[in-house]
Order: sequence, then C-alpha cells, then structure tokens
Amino acid sequence: MASVNQDNIPGATGTAPAKKSQAPAKTADSQSVLKRLQSELMALMMGGDSGISAFPEEDNIFCWKGTINGSKDTVFEGTQYKLSLSFPNDYPFKPPKVKFETLCFHPNVDVRGHICLDILQDKWSSAYDVRTILLSIQSLLGEPNTSSPLNPQAAQLWGNQEDYRKMVEKLYKSPNA
Amino acid sequence: MADSIYSICNLGILDTLSENSIHEIVESYEGFCAANETLLNGAGDLSVGPQLVSNAHSLCKHGLESLLRDHFLGALEKTFEKNGALKFWRHFEDVSIGEEVFYNALEEISLEKQYQEKCLLMLVHALQTYNQRGSHDSDAISVELFAKYQLSVSSVLMATLPRKFPEILNWYFKGRLEELSTIMAGDRPPRDDEDEDDDRDDMELDEKWKVSYRSGQMEIDECYPQGRFFDNSKLVNNIGRVVHDLRSLGFTSMTEDAYASAIFLFLKAKVHDLAGDDYRISVLESIKGWIQAVPLQFLHALLAYLGDSISYESASSGLKSPLAKCPASFYPGIDTPSEGLVRWQLRLEYFAYETLQDLRIAKLFEIIVDYPDSSPAIEDLKQCLEYTGQHSKLVESFISALQYRLLTAGASTNDILHQYVSTIKALRTIDPAGVFLEAVGEPIRDYLRGRKDTIKCIVTMLTDGTGANPNVSGNTGDSLLEELNRDEESQENIAPEDDFHTDDKQAWINASRWEPDPVEADPLKGSRNRRKVDILGMIVGIIGSQDQLVNEYRVMLAEKLLNKSDYDIDSEIRTLELLKIHFGENSMQKCEIMLNDLIGSKRTNTNIKATIAQPSHTDAGSELGDNRVSMDIIDATIISSNFWPPIQEESLIVPGPIDQLLSDYAKRFNEIKTPRKLLWKKNLGTVKLELQFEDREMQFMVAPVHAAIIMQFQDQKSWTSKDLAAAIGVPIDILNRRINFWISKGILSESLGEDTDNHMFTLMEGMIDTGKNTANDGNCEDLIVGDEEGESSVASVEDQLRKEMTVYEKFILGMLTNFGSMALDRIHNTLKMFCIADPTYDKTLQQLQSFLSGLVSEEKLELRDGMYFLKK
Repeated sequence: MASVNQDNIPGATGTAPAKKSQAPAKTADSQSVLKRLQSELMALMMGGDSGISAFPEEDNIFCWKGTINGSKDTVFEGTQYKLSLSFPNDYPFKPPKVKFETLCFHPNVDVRGHICLDILQDKWSSAYDVRTILLSIQSLLGEPNTSSPLNPQAAQLWGNQEDYRKMVEKLYKSPNA
Repeated sequence: MADSIYSICNLGILDTLSENSIHEIVESYEGFCAANETLLNGAGDLSVGPQLVSNAHSLCKHGLESLLRDHFLGALEKTFEKNGALKFWRHFEDVSIGEEVFYNALEEISLEKQYQEKCLLMLVHALQTYNQRGSHDSDAISVELFAKYQLSVSSVLMATLPRKFPEILNWYFKGRLEELSTIMAGDRPPRDDEDEDDDRDDMELDEKWKVSYRSGQMEIDECYPQGRFFDNSKLVNNIGRVVHDLRSLGFTSMTEDAYASAIFLFLKAKVHDLAGDDYRISVLESIKGWIQAVPLQFLHALLAYLGDSISYESASSGLKSPLAKCPASFYPGIDTPSEGLVRWQLRLEYFAYETLQDLRIAKLFEIIVDYPDSSPAIEDLKQCLEYTGQHSKLVESFISALQYRLLTAGASTNDILHQYVSTIKALRTIDPAGVFLEAVGEPIRDYLRGRKDTIKCIVTMLTDGTGANPNVSGNTGDSLLEELNRDEESQENIAPEDDFHTDDKQAWINASRWEPDPVEADPLKGSRNRRKVDILGMIVGIIGSQDQLVNEYRVMLAEKLLNKSDYDIDSEIRTLELLKIHFGENSMQKCEIMLNDLIGSKRTNTNIKATIAQPSHTDAGSELGDNRVSMDIIDATIISSNFWPPIQEESLIVPGPIDQLLSDYAKRFNEIKTPRKLLWKKNLGTVKLELQFEDREMQFMVAPVHAAIIMQFQDQKSWTSKDLAAAIGVPIDILNRRINFWISKGILSESLGEDTDNHMFTLMEGMIDTGKNTANDGNCEDLIVGDEEGESSVASVEDQLRKEMTVYEKFILGMLTNFGSMALDRIHNTLKMFCIADPTYDKTLQQLQSFLSGLVSEEKLELRDGMYFLKK
C-alpha cells in the first residue's frame, strides 16, 4: 500500500533533498534544520497545492499545524482535517511526528489521531518533505490500507462506501466551526 | 449764610465772636462773593482785584481761609462749565468740522482758562500776602490750588464729553500727519537738483541715521538739529499748540491715544504701501527710514514743543504713557537722546515689524513659490521675527495655507516637492535651527507619503540636473542634484566633526558653542544636533528609509543604462559619486557594480570585436547574401544580473543572421572570459535599422521586437498574426500590440483574415497614402522610438513590491488556513519569524495592515473583531 501512496506523490523527489540525503546525519546541526524547514515552508507556500497546507506555530518552527482537505470523489470530499507536525532535531534524517488533531474516521487513523503510514515510520527518507507528507496523507484518506487497520470498525465499513460516507459526515466537525 | 459759617468754625471760636466781628465777617464774605462774581464774569476786567484781596484778607483773619478757597473754586468751576465747556462742545456739534473751527474752539477755551487762572492767581496772591504775616508755606498754597483747579476743569470737561470727541482728535492728527508726510515726501525729490547745500546736509543726515542705527543708539536728537524742522515748524507748532492746549484741559491721555493711533494707522498704511506684493526687494530699511523721517520727526518736534510742560504733567498723569514719563530735562539741542523719543521709536519699530511680519506671513506661500527671487522678503521676515518672536504665528498660518493650497489632489507631486524644497531653503534662512521647519514640514511629508509617485519624483529630481518638471521654468535652482553638490562640500567640512576621536579641545569648543533650543522646540523630536537642516535628509525622511530611494534609483539607473547605445556614463558616475557621499558606499554598491558593468562592457566589447574571427557564413546567413551582418554593428552591454534589478523577460526569436552573430559573440566571450558565459536578453536593447523601399528609405531606432517583426516582411510580404507570432516567438497578444508601431508608421497594413483573431498584416510597399503621411515624404526619416505604452526593460519598483506582496499573501493565506483566525500583530510577528528567505519581510505593522485591508476588499480575507479570517 505504501508504494501506492508514493506513486501518488507528484514530483516528490526533487534534486535538492536528494543531495541532502547523502549528508551524514550527525552533522545536521539545528541551523541547517532551521534552514531546511524554512525553505520547505517557502516551497509549500509558493507551491500552491490545493487542499494541503501547513504553517509553523507562532514561535516554534519545529511545530507545525497542517490542514488537509478531503480529495474530490472520495468519501472525505468536503471535509477538512487539522494535523500537527512536530519535527525532530535531526530532521530530515528522522521523520516528523504527524497526527490528526481533528477526529478522523479512517482505517489507518486511531481515535487519538495517530496515523499508520509507512513513510512516516520505517520507509521514511530525507527526500520527503512536508509537502510530500501532506500529499501522502491526503491520498491515504482516499485509499486506506485496510489490511492493517488502527480502526477496525472503519476498515470493516470501508467496503460500503455509502454508509462510510454517512459515518464520516456524522462524525465530522468542521475545525473552523 | 450764617449757618455755613458756623458749621465751619469750631464752637470755641464761636463763643468769642462778638457781634462786631460777625458783622464784619458777613460783610467781608458778601464783598468777596460779589467781587468774585464780577471778576469771573467780568470778561477780563480785573479792576475788582483789590476789593477781592481785601475781603479775602479780612475773612482769613477770622480763620475762614478754607471756606474762601472752596467758594472761589466752586465759582470757578461753575463759570468754566457755563462759559468754557458748553461753548467748547457746541463747536463740535456739527458732524464735520474744519481745522479752523477746531483751532478756534481750542483757542477760545484756552483763553477762558487762562483768564480763570489769572483770577485764581489773584486769590493765591491774596492768600500769600495774608500768609506772609502768618507762617504758612505760600508755594504750597499755589500748587494745591492750581492742582484742584486743574482737576475741576478736566472733570467738568470729561463729564460733558461728547462721544465723538476722540474721533475728532483722531481725525485731526491723521490729517496733520498726512500733511507732514507730504511735506517730507515733497522735501525729498527736489534736493537732488535744487539746493546743493541742503543736499549734502541730507546725505550727511542719512549717513548719520545709518550710523546711529547700526550702533544701536538712538541719537535722533543729534541727527535732527532743531533747525532741520524749520520748514515744517509752522505745522509742527500748530500741532504742538493743540496738544499743549488739550493737555492743559486734561485730555492728556486722550490726546496721546489719538495721535498714537493716528501714527500707528498711518504707519500701517505706509508699511502696506511699501511692502506691497513685490517680494524681490527688501522693504524693512525703507520702512525704518520712513519711521525716522516722518513719525519720529513729528514726535520729536512735538516733544520739543511740549518740553517744559511735561514735567508738570507727569505728576498727574502718572506712568501711563511714555510721553508722560518724558523727563523734564529734555530740551531740544541737548545731545542726550530723549528717553521718550527712544521709547516711541521702539514702539513704532516694533509695530512696523509686526505689521510687516503679518503681511509677509499671510503671503508666505506665494513668497516661497518665488523662493530664490523672493529672498529679500524672507530676509525681512527673518528680521521681523527676530524682533517679535512670533514664530508660532508663521507656523500656523503657513500650515493652513499649505493644506488649503498645496496638499490637494490637484497639485502634482513634483510641484509639492519643489515647494517643499523651497520651503526648506526659505525657512532655513529664517530659522537655522530648523525647529519651525520641523513643524511646517510635517504635513507635507505626511501628505507625500500617501502619494505613489513620490519616490519616483524624488529620484528624478535627484538625478536630473535640469529639474524634473519642465513647467517650472527658472526653477532649476531647486534641483536636488545641485543640493547633492552642495552637500558634498558641506560634508567635507563636517567630516572631522563626525570623527569619534575629536580631541578635548574641540569637544570643549563644541560644548561652549552650545545653545539651548528655542522654546518652541518639541522636546520629543530630539535636540538640534539631530535636527540639522539637510534638504536631502528631509527629502529622504519623506520616504522613511533610504533603501527605498536607493532601490528606485537603481531601477531608474538600470533603465537608463540599458537604453544607452554608447557607453557614455560620465553623468551617471558623477551622480552616483554624489549619492555615495550622502547615502554611504554600501547602499550604493549595487549601483556601482552596474556602472562598472557598463565600463567593463565597453572594454570587453571592443576586445571581442577586435579578436573575433569573422565567421564564414556557410549556413543560413550566407544564402541571403545581402543579409550578412558584420560584427561591427553590434555592441553588447554585459551585466552582472545578480546586482541588477529584475529584468523583464520576454521571449523573442531574432532573425537568423543576427542570432548567429549573437552566438558567435557569446562564444568569443566564453573564450575570453572562461568560465563565464553570455546569456542574451534578446528582448532588450535598441536596434537602428533602415528600411529600403523602391522609392525611399527610412531609418528607425526601435526595440528588438519591432525589428524582428519588420524583418520577417523582408521575404514575405504578408503574414497572418498566428504565423508571425510563431516566427518571432512571442505570444499573439504581444505581437498585436507591438505591430501597431509599424501600422502607425504606415509601413504595414492590417486587414481581417478569414479568422477573426487571425489578422493579416501586409507590407505597404511604396504605396504610402501621401495624404496620411505628408510628414514622411522626406527621403529619410530618423525616428526614435521610446518606450511606448510605458514598457520598460526593468521591472519597476511597484512590480517588485507587488511580487513581494504576493509572497506575503501566500504566507498569510497559509497561516490562516492552519490557524483559522489571527490578529494583526500575530500575523505580523509570524511573517517576521518565518518569512525570512528572499524577499525578507520588512514591512511595518501599518503597511501590513493596509495590505491586509486590500486583501479584505479583494474578498480573500475577512476581518471580524480585530481577527482576520479566510473568506470562504
């Protein structure tokens, strides 16, 4: 399933992050992390991808808030989910911790918002960035991995898309409401 | 009658009174009264005098002296009221009275008074002769009696005073002053040719005036020996007599008021007359001269005339007026300056200063509009203000004039800036400390900040030696370039002061030179050191930061340099050097690199052209034999684009031979300057081309895109817009816009093709409509095409700003997406924190706020309760 997610990432492997991945992890001092996060923020802001967004919290560039809109033609269409991203000091050599802040009824998301997504765990690569993470999660919403669910009820219901849609609508609370 | 006697005497005396003595008293008293009556009404008959005296003596013997006096004074008062005052006022009942009537009336009443005084003297005499037997001080009696009499005279007159009498006095003095003034004025012209003696005399006098003025001593008396007034003495004597009479009647203060106000009114009229609306001449000296010539002479003569009576008057009228204070020692011909006259001179001069100042302040706006020419008026105003200290009046009035007349939508930014510069220069004269300038300049600066083209205008003014606005003829002196020059000089002078290591001696000198700020200074605005009046500084102050100014200058410079076809940049270098002095080397560094690029380009260009192997055109170029172009026709400007403002990119396919030439050139460049490579900006630059038709040839200076367009018509007489756009590699809409140039020149014609948006362009070969192009009949036309439609090769500052702002917009939208709603300062802080890559966020809270409200009005954001939301 993870490979599916990766395939859905358009232009995920830029040349600049690829270069960085060759650098030894130890030398990544906080200055370069800062720089990396700033350039990611700039790229994200200027990139103009619709449906995903993230921004650092007021005083800490290691803690970001993210926003994902449910993709069109999925049961999550018209919904918007808040996420929190917290970056480790040795980012991008370790993945950020990402979880849902809004309740998300999804086979790979538990009630506390934890996400089961391979690129956020063992399949992480420093070539990924905030943008690719958000896009991966966005596509995960539409294409869950029902074989190893965190939320079995959702996994069961996934087969019946109409009921699933009803369930999503029932549980969904607009973050801005 | 007996009652009154008893009431006065004390009872002890009463007891001792014999029948005899009572009889004597009654008799004497009656005799006294009768004599008194006859005396007073006797119209000059003093024959009853002895009778009065003897009766008085006998009454005094009985201790009835005070009764005697009271009765006599009472009778005098009654008579005066009847004979003097009523008659006197009757003269003034007519609405208009002539000078003669006035004189007569005064004379009459004065005679009456004199006569009465004689009578009084008689009584005094009687009392004195009696008292010689006693021990009374006889002088004291006389003084006391005369004072009482004077008092009763004035109280009678005051009590019956008609309301218009002050007016009459005023009218009288005004008339006399005018008369005197005409005499004085008439006195002057003839002295040139008529009387040489007099002439010399006058000249000496003039010099003396000046000397005395300069030395600050008012030695008018010396300057004006009494003889000088001989011509006017009759007039002055008349006036003097009138004043004297009026004084003796008790009208001292009223008279003074009257002639003072007449003098002031007259002076005011004179100042207005002299000052007028001409600001090219200084009028202060002539006003002062006039004060010396007319009113002071008048007063001098007057005081001289009154000289002896003053000491007497001063006792009663107190400190009310300078005249009354005039010391008794004042006699004409004595060389000590008269205090009274000095006072008058000071008063008059102050008044003149104030009047002139008010006049000039009211017209300050016009004066400053004419500034360099009107500097005499400014100088006058400066002197006036030094004297009066009413600077705040100037500030208020000028600010309101500015707001009413200059800071309006109708005024062009250039004009406002010019006026601002003139204001700075003019006020710098008046107030070197710049305190008032600060106050006056504030509204202008605020207003200019709200104008979009302010920076551009300033930069134009800075760089353009001829002044930015051609309409302001003769105002080239306002050019800021000149100011830059001056600044250069002053900077050199100031330079050592900026040194931190000024030695102790210098520090001590500086400290001892310290002067407090004028009281009007706003303590919040720093001390005078920082308020150093510096026109450029104040201009930059409008913009807020010099970075913006430098940036705008850079864009303008880039535009200018890119449009140069030769490498002549002398004037730019000069301007840059001057700017460097002012703004510092660092901020002008990029501009310097730009200029160096030009210098380097020139060298490299020559080098490349000299060393390049003329390529044999075996390709497309050689086939079109006459199309072969030699390297000589190309001159390249090689720029270090990192240091230049962003350059407008536009795709363009240049014709083959040219393209070949360009790549040859680039290749050679690479050979010479390895590893550097040349990247052509093919849309920039100018092309000089000549179009040859069968019957004529035409020359043009055009942009490359125009050249590319017209060259396509060399082989093919007509093109559709789609094909042509493809051939030269520009979008159709740009092509349509650019091709208009050739259509307007009558070289191409446009016709609708089959497709509505695929127009057909055809070359108008040799069949120019002569009616339309009479001007083009000449065999050769040299046209220079500027940047039509405001196209420019460099992105303007506004464009750059807009670009910056779109970055901010994305950031703002991004943070609002994730945080829902944010307050202004949180957005500001967040931008400051995270928007640090190029371009760094450097806006103020106010700028951000106005930007946000722009987004709100574009319906991208919403503002509720001070929080910004995304608009859904």
